[in-house]
Amino acid sequence: MRRRSLSPVTFFIVITGLFVVSPTASLQQRNGSISVKGGVGDITGEYEIPDANWPQWAHPYPKPGFIWGSQGGVFAESPDRVYLANRGELKLPDKIPNGFPGNWGFFNQMAATQPIANMVNCLVVVDRNGKLIEAWNQWDKLFEWGRGPHQVYISPYDPERHVWVVDDMRHVIYRFTHDGKQLVQTLGMLDEFGENDDLTRFRRPTMIDWLPDGTFFVADGYGNTRVVKFDKTGKPLLKWGSRGTGPGQFNTPHGVAVGGSPPRVFVSDRGNRRIQVFDTDGKFLEEWPGIAPHSMLMSADEHVWAVDSLTDRIVKFDLTGHVEFSFGQFGTRPGYTWAPHQITADSDGNLYLSEVFGGRTQKYRPKPNADPTKLVWGRALMPVGNARTN
Amino acid sequence: MMKVITGFLIVLTACAVTAAAQGKPDFSGTWKLSGTTPPNYPGSAGWGVPSPTLVVKQTSTEVTIQAGQYGPNPMSVVYKLDGSDNIWEAPSVTQSGSTATVKWRTKARWDGNKLILFTWNTALNQMRDVMTMSNGALSIQRGTEQPGPSTNATLTYNR
Repeated sequence: MRRRSLSPVTFFIVITGLFVVSPTASLQQRNGSISVKGGVGDITGEYEIPDANWPQWAHPYPKPGFIWGSQGGVFAESPDRVYLANRGELKLPDKIPNGFPGNWGFFNQMAATQPIANMVNCLVVVDRNGKLIEAWNQWDKLFEWGRGPHQVYISPYDPERHVWVVDDMRHVIYRFTHDGKQLVQTLGMLDEFGENDDLTRFRRPTMIDWLPDGTFFVADGYGNTRVVKFDKTGKPLLKWGSRGTGPGQFNTPHGVAVGGSPPRVFVSDRGNRRIQVFDTDGKFLEEWPGIAPHSMLMSADEHVWAVDSLTDRIVKFDLTGHVEFSFGQFGTRPGYTWAPHQITADSDGNLYLSEVFGGRTQKYRPKPNADPTKLVWGRALMPVGNARTN
Repeated sequence: MMKVITGFLIVLTACAVTAAAQGKPDFSGTWKLSGTTPPNYPGSAGWGVPSPTLVVKQTSTEVTIQAGQYGPNPMSVVYKLDGSDNIWEAPSVTQSGSTATVKWRTKARWDGNKLILFTWNTALNQMRDVMTMSNGALSIQRGTEQPGPSTNATLTYNR
């Protein structure tokens, strides 16, 4: 069989395209090797194409005439207990187009919080089939004058499994009991933002992560462009960062992940298109340029998974900043994403991504015989009631 | 005797409240924008844009500001000085550029001689103005919030 050869012009276009079009390729080139890991155009990686009808509860719509809006966050406590943070419901057009798949991204209107989102069903819990098992409607009123919950978490090291919810627009972080019946702590001051040197008030906080002793770090955020360190009781200890482009400065620090030995704090400096790395007292260590994550996750195998706002790629970094794998692509069809905003994984290896512009949360199940090193593994949560002794 | 003491306490309290109110600056008047820091501060996507003219009416219970800082159309907005919310609905331009009925909320409080005004609406706009008076000039430290980055500016007005 005769092998076809590429003309010089075609060869140039193909090679250029690889680096211009493919974020995977550009990321890998930046790290000094052009490997086949990930693969150009790999949409769902080692995962199957998600079921468009997950979660069941959201289909066909929350209530007649309305649809879920921006999906700020998702956290998988287990395969049968998945928390969804919904930034309000939006009114559907009077005439729904043919082929409408059921998510806001279909309308191509970007931010799925407009024109006006009704803050209802902001925090819900679903099972593995996406069936609603809890709706925390008693707390919807907390979000009425903001844009809804930004993200949702449980600390891996909390035996009581409190549920933490960040509300950026109202400048607070809530800590609820595991069942959602009680609001046990509010960090920050509702509706009042503080300045960069004010440790008691946030200005548009975005994300949290924890050390094993309960110490936690808040990316704060759109307004204050800093990181704040708290002890396990919520007492602020110190802060670092200011607006700017230099080492230790930020432009919208939107994500934070903590891990490694000794522990380091990885901060998504989204507006400056980089990840910055610090020690736990805020000393700058290094930066990883070329990626602008909405969110990050420290995995059980001590890697940083970052969801890139520029490319919609899901990128796996080792703790020295080398890209090991990536997948994902912008789009509104099942498996594609539009602004994946929080990433989480359950103990069965299922991956969940909430989309703020796509207006949906997708559940990705591993393919049969998937390479486990290319799956996201969330950190195991401490068993309920298993109080630490250290 | 009890009635005399009670009456005395009421008069004393009233005097104290009046004195406190009198100690606060009165921002009433028509104010013209003379400058911003940073220069030519644009507000945030049509929100919090410095109004060339502010018309302020202040009583002991509320402050009313008529200005063009609340969106493309000038509005007259009331802030209650007792710290309680003032909530109303009005057709307003949303982030996506469409017009919709939007809920608005304001409140105000004193911090010494600073008057802090808070404004929110359900089209995802927030504004905090800290108003002070010095040598006859009105200074407003403004912070705005929208879905994107926050903004800060100092606005200076003269009568």
